Parts: sequence; C-alpha cells; structure tokens
Amino acid sequence: MKKIELLFPELCNIYGESYNVEYLKRSNPENIEVISTNHRDTPAFVTEDVDMIYLGCTTERKQEQIIEILKPHKERILQLIDKGVIFLVTGNSPEIFGNYIKDGERTIEALGIFDFYSVRYMDRERHNSQYIGKYGELTMLGHRSQFSYAYGEFENNFVDIERGIGMNPETKREGIHVNNFFATYSLGPYLILNPYFAKELLAKMGLETTLCYEKEIIEAYDYRLKELLRTLHY
Amino acid sequence: MDSYVLYDIIRRILLMLRFYFALWASKFAMWVYKLRGQERNDRPGLLAFKLCPDFLKHIKKPPLVITITGTNGKSTTSALVNNKLVAEGYKVSFNDWGANLHAGYCLNLMRCVNIFNKVRYDVSILEADERTLDKMMGMIEPNYIMVTNICKDSLRRNGHPEFIFDIVDRTFNQLGDKTVAILNANDPISSQLAKNSKARRVFYGMTDIDAKPFENTVKDIAVCPECGDFIGYNYRLYRHIGDFYCPSCGFKTPDSKYFAKEVDLENRKMVITEDGKETTYPLISDAVYNSYNVLSAIAILREIGKDKEDISKFLETQQVTKIRETCEEFNGIKYYTYGAKSQNISAASTVFEYMAKEPSDKNVVLLLDELQDKNHPTETLTWLYETDYEFLNSPNIKKIIVGGHMFLNHKLRLLLAGIPEEKIVCVEDEADIPNYVDREGIEKVYVLFEIDCVTKARNMRDAILNKAKEEAK
Repeated sequence: MKKIELLFPELCNIYGESYNVEYLKRSNPENIEVISTNHRDTPAFVTEDVDMIYLGCTTERKQEQIIEILKPHKERILQLIDKGVIFLVTGNSPEIFGNYIKDGERTIEALGIFDFYSVRYMDRERHNSQYIGKYGELTMLGHRSQFSYAYGEFENNFVDIERGIGMNPETKREGIHVNNFFATYSLGPYLILNPYFAKELLAKMGLETTLCYEKEIIEAYDYRLKELLRTLHY
Repeated sequence: MDSYVLYDIIRRILLMLRFYFALWASKFAMWVYKLRGQERNDRPGLLAFKLCPDFLKHIKKPPLVITITGTNGKSTTSALVNNKLVAEGYKVSFNDWGANLHAGYCLNLMRCVNIFNKVRYDVSILEADERTLDKMMGMIEPNYIMVTNICKDSLRRNGHPEFIFDIVDRTFNQLGDKTVAILNANDPISSQLAKNSKARRVFYGMTDIDAKPFENTVKDIAVCPECGDFIGYNYRLYRHIGDFYCPSCGFKTPDSKYFAKEVDLENRKMVITEDGKETTYPLISDAVYNSYNVLSAIAILREIGKDKEDISKFLETQQVTKIRETCEEFNGIKYYTYGAKSQNISAASTVFEYMAKEPSDKNVVLLLDELQDKNHPTETLTWLYETDYEFLNSPNIKKIIVGGHMFLNHKLRLLLAGIPEEKIVCVEDEADIPNYVDREGIEKVYVLFEIDCVTKARNMRDAILNKAKEEAK
C-alpha cells in the first residue's frame, strides 16, 4: 500500500487541487491510501514514511500560515527530498519553499529550501496564461493564474517552457525539480491536465500505471494540446 | 496673487472643462446610440471615463444612490429594487442589462443629469462588480452599499474570496459613515465587512428551512478568519451560507434586523420579522438563492423607508429577470434558458444543486465555456474540478448534453462525477445538440448558459424547440 499525504485540503484546494490526489487514488484505489492532514494536525510525514506529499494552491494569508506550520519540519522535508519521496507542489505553493516572499514593504520569510524569492503584485491585474513545455520526453501543459512571480536562477527547473512564461515573464524555466520534488505555478488539477505525468508518478511509486478513464483523459489531453498549439503563439 | 494659487485655479478650471467636455461628448454618443436602438450599450460611459478619468467624482449624484454588489444575486436584487421604485413613480437610473463596471457607472450617472450637470433623476441603482469597487465607490459615495455574498468566482479575474473581501472592505473603510453597509448575516465572509469602518451595518438573515444543502467539494471558506478553527454550522442554507459559528472564539452569525423566520419555497412565500413584527412576502421562485435575493431587496427597500405592505403587494407582480431565466412550452414539455455562470463556480454548483432538487424529469444542456472571451485563447479546466458535477448525478436528470470545444473535458468530468455513461452526450459542434434532446419521457429541458451569452442560450433553446415542433408535424 502506497501512502499519499494530502496537505491542508481545507486551505489548499481553492481551484480543485485536491483532485490531483483523488485522481491518483481513483486510478489505483486498492494500492493507494490517502492521508488527509488538516492545518491543526502535525503532518503525517513528520512521524512516518509516506510515498508522496501533495500541497496545492492557497490564498496569500493562508500561504503565510502554512509557512509557519511547516517551518519546524524543514529538516524533515529536506531529508525526505534527499530520500526521493515524491512531492507535488502546485499553484503559489512553490513560493513556500523559496527564501522569502516580498509583499509591498513586507518580507515574509519562507522555508529557504530552494534558492529563489517571490514578489506579490496584489495591486496589478492577475496574470493568467497557459503553457506548453517539456519535462524530459513529456509534453506538459499548464495553466497559471497568479498575483506573484518568482525570481532566481532555477537551474533545477521542472518544465522547459516552449510556449508561455516560466517562473516570471523573463524566463522560460518553470518550476522546480530536485530528485522527486516537483513544483509548478500551474494550478488546479495538474494531473488531469497531464495524464502522462500522472502515469509517471504512479510508476515512480511502483504502481500499475493504467489511469482512471484513461481513454477519455488521453483524448482530452490530445485535443487540448492541439488547441493550445493552434492558439498559443508565444 | 501667489503663483501656486494661480496655478491651482487654472488647473481646476481645466479639470472642470475636461469634465464638461466628457459629459457633452458622452451625452452626444448616448443620443446617437439611442437613435440606433442601442440604448443598452455602455460605450458612451466608457467614452466619458476615457476623456475624464475622475468623471464619477465630478458628476452630480441623485439624492439616493444605492450600490448592490456581491458574487451572486446582485442582478436579481437590483432589478427588484429598481422595479419597485419605478412602480412608485420615481425616476430611476438603472442598467438593466448588467454593465456593472466603470463604463456602466458613468452611463448610469450621466443619465441622471442634464448637460449642465444638474440632477434630473431621483435614484441611481448601481449593480457593481466587486473587483473594482475600491477604485470607483470613493468617487460615487453611494448612500447604501449592499453586499449579497462573497463566494468563489472566476479565478482569472477574482482570484479567491479573501482577495475580494479585502477589496470590498477597503471600500467601506474609505467611505466611512458616508454609506450604510447592508450585509448578509448568514455569509461568514461578507458579514465581516465594514467591521472596522464607521459605516452603519445592517444585517438580514434567514432561518433554517431544512434545505438539506449538498456538500461542496471546494469551499468558499472553511476555517474561522479570527482563530483558524473549523467553522461549524447550526444549519446551512446553501454553500457556506447559513447560521455559522466558531467553536473556539466568538465568531458567529450576527443578529439580523430583517430575519426570514419562515420560508415556504413550495408555496413561494416568506415571513420576515422586523423589530418583532411579522410581514409575509411572496417569493419569485422556488430556489433558495432566489429567496435570498428577495430578502436582500426587501432589506434595501425597508432601509430606504418603503412600506412593508406595499413591498409585499409589489412582489406579487415580480418574476426572475429574463436575462437569467426564460421558459417556452410545447407538447407538455417546458424549455428553459437558465443562467448558470461556469467559471463562477459557486453559481454553477448552486444551479447544479437546484437541477437535482427540482423534482421534474429533465434533460440538462450545458452551454458552459468561455469561448466568447477573446482575450483567452484556451480556457482553463480548473473550474470543472471546482464545480460540483457530482450534483448532476440525480435520477431526475435523464440526460446531460454538452457541446463546444470543452466537450472532451466535460465528458471526463461527468464520468469522474459518477454520471452513468449512457446519460452523457458530448459533442464538439453545439449545433448538433438539438438532435440529442429527448422528446418524451421528460417534463423539462434546461439550457444552462453563461450569463454573457443570453442570446446564444435563447437561440439554442429555440433550435431545440423547433426541432421538437418539426418532429411533431
């Protein structure tokens, strides 16, 4: 039995993010156990081994709260990343793992696990865009909708953007990929958007990789990819 | 004369000239649009705003300005308040087609004055988009601001409810005691507005009506904004709306001045207590959220001094605004257009819940995508997984028919929601939809549509209806 820890779904499921874990579970219900941890409990990964940890998008206030919740467990998180435990972090949650977040005059200290920082632009129009990019051989699709950007070198990026922007409008490097730690600004049900990546995560956990409604999800992915290739020009 | 004073006088004169130029130019544009039969076009307002960015500050306001904002319910509430005041003989400026941004406000208030900026209307009712409220209301200074609720809305524009809350709260802080806040006591989000402003706060709320609300997957609010504990409910009406409390601190539903103590959806009536006295009012529909819209309208009308009995009599004549719902009947089947708003996931989920609870056997046609948004080449699918498609898995919903470029995403989502495959029809070309609508074994067909696509929805409903008529020949 493989354990997936869904962190703080009451705070981090603002755009249907929990469906990432739900979909993996639906694809292999007999071999996946989902541990749903709320923000008032100690995360399961602190005291037991888990195979995958998922953290989704949240509001700015809750993001700061989550940084404080996770700070005492920074060493354990580093240890799990080194061990190759799968992390999937989406939406604005990658910012939690950077050095700090700037919000006007305020500087919010983050976990400092990866060397980058983020800046919130709350008084600007929200940035919305899609991306097409490569993760190894896989063509990845993403949808970003955000008030903030991240700045740094991002040498260990997750996706090489072919169309769209990366961690900020000046880079084509998107997300973070270290061992099995995957982070992206793309929000919502990322694994529904990227069924081949969902298969890869199942394979990494040593599970059979047939997906729930595989025919339908691949058809939807192919159609969407074609549509994006037709409509996304930058 | 001091050069600074002279400079200031010249600056003021130039600003005033700019305002009058904007007023006259936009009045002329409004007249041209009227001649062309396009009164419902806010471009003259946009012109005024472009020529004079502080047009809203300089234009004279009627004696009564009411702003109605919130994620859901503002159109219906505004229409009811407008209709009542018009019926009483007031001269009311109201954009009955929406137009709830700066261009719409400019048009609305421009209508209220003559070319010399002299007020000739009694009332302005502004249905207002909450996203830009803090940038606009400071210039307008409405006498009343009603916030119907704050729920999940389009992520691309509105982000999340906390972000919207901050915008609306800033608005109240700016206005202070220049406005009165009329708030929904049962909304744990919007009921907390204007707490730190000088605005007088008036609440309206509703009793437990045994609504048996479904549980939403994505919550508008889950934890107490004061202490972070999980919010509890003595009862819930729909989504996060209900009698809420925090088990760890004093966060709870405020007391209501206007409290619906009995709501009979079946017989469409509601008893409201106010200062200990009860009045019965008719409802315009059997949906819980529409009874809130009636309650909201009553709260405003009572605050501005309208008589209870008059309001009650007036409501007997009202129905849901046609931009939200229309109905045609043929061969014993009712064919509806019904506003749902896809990317406003709170509205879509609430309508899906209504589809399940409304007991008729029905087909549901989903015209829900944002293809009309030309700024957005390929839309996100996040909203499909925020919206409770699971609610459509109901025995009285015999078939779900979806068309448009999102058809494969809809199909997957409907399957994941547990809808039996034989009930699902997903076609790329929307023109094919009428071929799949049942002609017998159902009582109703609902065409659920994006509120920006009223005409498209009516055309689809009419195509379905015409197909049925052809086959009946």
